[in-house]
Amino acid sequence: MLNVLVEGVLLGGVYGLIALGFVIVFKSSHVLNMAYGWIICLISYVLFQLMEPWGLIAYVAVPVMMLSGAVLGVLVERFAVRQLVGQSVLAILMMTLAVGFVLHGLIVLFWPGKIWTIPFKPVGLWSIAGIKVMPDAAIAFLVATGVFLLLVLFFRFTTVGLSMRVVAADHEVAQSLGIRVNRIFSLSWAISGAFGAICGVLAGMVFTVTVENGDILLGKGMTILLVGGLNSIPGAYVGGLLIGGVESLGAYWLTGLKEVVPWVFMLIVLLLRPQGLFGQKRIERI
Amino acid sequence: MLPCGVFNRNPQQDMAIVRTKTQWLLLVLAVVFLAIVVIWLSPEWQTWLITAGIYVVAVMGLHITTGLCGQFAMGHAAFMAVGAYGTAVLTGNYGWSPWLTLPLSGLMAGLIGMMFGIPALRIKGLYLVMATIAAQFVIMFVIKQPQSWGQGVGLHVAQLSAGDSVFTKVQFWWVTLAIVLVAVFYAKNIQRTSPGRKMVAVRDNDLAAEVMGINLFRTKLLAFFLGCFFAGISGWLMAHHLRYLHPDIFSFNLSLILLGMVIIGGMGSTSGAVLGVIFMQILDKLTARYLSPAVMEWMPSGTSSSVGPALQLVVYGLVIVAFLLFEPRGIQHRVEKIKLYYRLRPFSY
Repeated sequence: MLNVLVEGVLLGGVYGLIALGFVIVFKSSHVLNMAYGWIICLISYVLFQLMEPWGLIAYVAVPVMMLSGAVLGVLVERFAVRQLVGQSVLAILMMTLAVGFVLHGLIVLFWPGKIWTIPFKPVGLWSIAGIKVMPDAAIAFLVATGVFLLLVLFFRFTTVGLSMRVVAADHEVAQSLGIRVNRIFSLSWAISGAFGAICGVLAGMVFTVTVENGDILLGKGMTILLVGGLNSIPGAYVGGLLIGGVESLGAYWLTGLKEVVPWVFMLIVLLLRPQGLFGQKRIERI
Repeated sequence: MLPCGVFNRNPQQDMAIVRTKTQWLLLVLAVVFLAIVVIWLSPEWQTWLITAGIYVVAVMGLHITTGLCGQFAMGHAAFMAVGAYGTAVLTGNYGWSPWLTLPLSGLMAGLIGMMFGIPALRIKGLYLVMATIAAQFVIMFVIKQPQSWGQGVGLHVAQLSAGDSVFTKVQFWWVTLAIVLVAVFYAKNIQRTSPGRKMVAVRDNDLAAEVMGINLFRTKLLAFFLGCFFAGISGWLMAHHLRYLHPDIFSFNLSLILLGMVIIGGMGSTSGAVLGVIFMQILDKLTARYLSPAVMEWMPSGTSSSVGPALQLVVYGLVIVAFLLFEPRGIQHRVEKIKLYYRLRPFSY
């Protein structure tokens, strides 16, 4: 039982990383990027294309993959989402969903039915303080935690991070301070895309890469996002660990429950605390 | 705007669903045409018509929940599944008559939809969207569980029959057409009744609506109930049309495609929703007919089983993107503009 819980929490680190990709975009531009699952899935296949048919080594292929993720993110922002700035939240939501459709279609078109596992995945079992864990989950957790800390430092101490926080707080104030809001939007999408590459590698280690992965990744990210609160970075991380733990307990009790427990947990949190555990409550005027 | 020379002399005329005699004539002709033409169509196109009819019923529900009441529902396919599996299990395992399960399918889906609508009181916008997506996954999970419901392999459904004679495809289309007509009439009618107007008020600004004395909870729950009721009925049609159910039919993608149909047609307009379905169905056919073979020729690695669905996704996605960018108010808006143009011609001011 403890074993299962630890394993779940370790996996939760990866989920939290997926949710972080959503949060970065949502914080700056208030867009919930529903195409994110498919972006991750697509660049996982880019990595496959680089490594298997083209035979690049991992140290070259992974940076190229991160670059392609960033480019993909910027393209989606520039040509689909920016056109709808100022329109209703739900129109933009539908737009990202439609982009997800296109990406899903492209994946099925170019890599039909291809199932792939990341080749540089560690094997065997590690034992930490008497608890046996899968090394890939542990590595994924460490990387996720490291990236999370880096991100916190980035937002706290760099100029770009500061300007991103200003944009998140108020677009007009940011503009009057001389910050180019459009560029910050692009930047946040690029960061989130590059993040997607890390998620893709980690998720590819823990699961396998399939053409239907996008919806699963999206589901994981979404539930965590809502549990943690839409615009909270610590929320995404803590939510990830929570969901990972809850999910593994559910799976321990009944194997099939794994896919549905996060959603039920999310519904309960939504009913009790609509803004999520770490989210800000919105006050509205008529 | 009314045609030249037509005036509303009393409130009844103003509220009429079909206003002028020409409209009545056209409507009757269209219905008669649809009912008769199917006899001479090839089975392929008969299936196309029936599928379009099923989607129209489902989209009418979505039109009420999303278009009128503004509650984005992204789990519509799951409620179709509730109706479909409801009738499949009741007729198959318990030997009930399919005609008896028709209202029951709707009711089951509606009640379950209401359960998932309860969070709508406290949450809205993106959060509510997530709750409805949760509905999709939770319901489909539950449906996949019982052994007697087919699980992963699927479930066979009895053919529809009246007395001893089993329905042919043509007769099934007549049943579908009747249900479609009732559904469209109902969706059109609710817009001129008190609950329908309340829904529109809630959509435009729910806080303002509440201040005006509208019971938000009841209105939103009613919207969810009606929307899911229609989904259940359309699931009933789907079950008896396909006669074979599989959880993969009612995927998350189907929910999104239904929502896409509402958006392409034009949010909040009944005829727009119907137009959206027809547009998407024609597009589907064109993709399968012309685009898939062309792409197959160009891509040697592709197999026919993967290229078709992949292209369908790409085309649907691109069309929704194009509509959001260039015609966010949907086909209906364009149709209205064209009608207005010709009504005023040659005086276009």
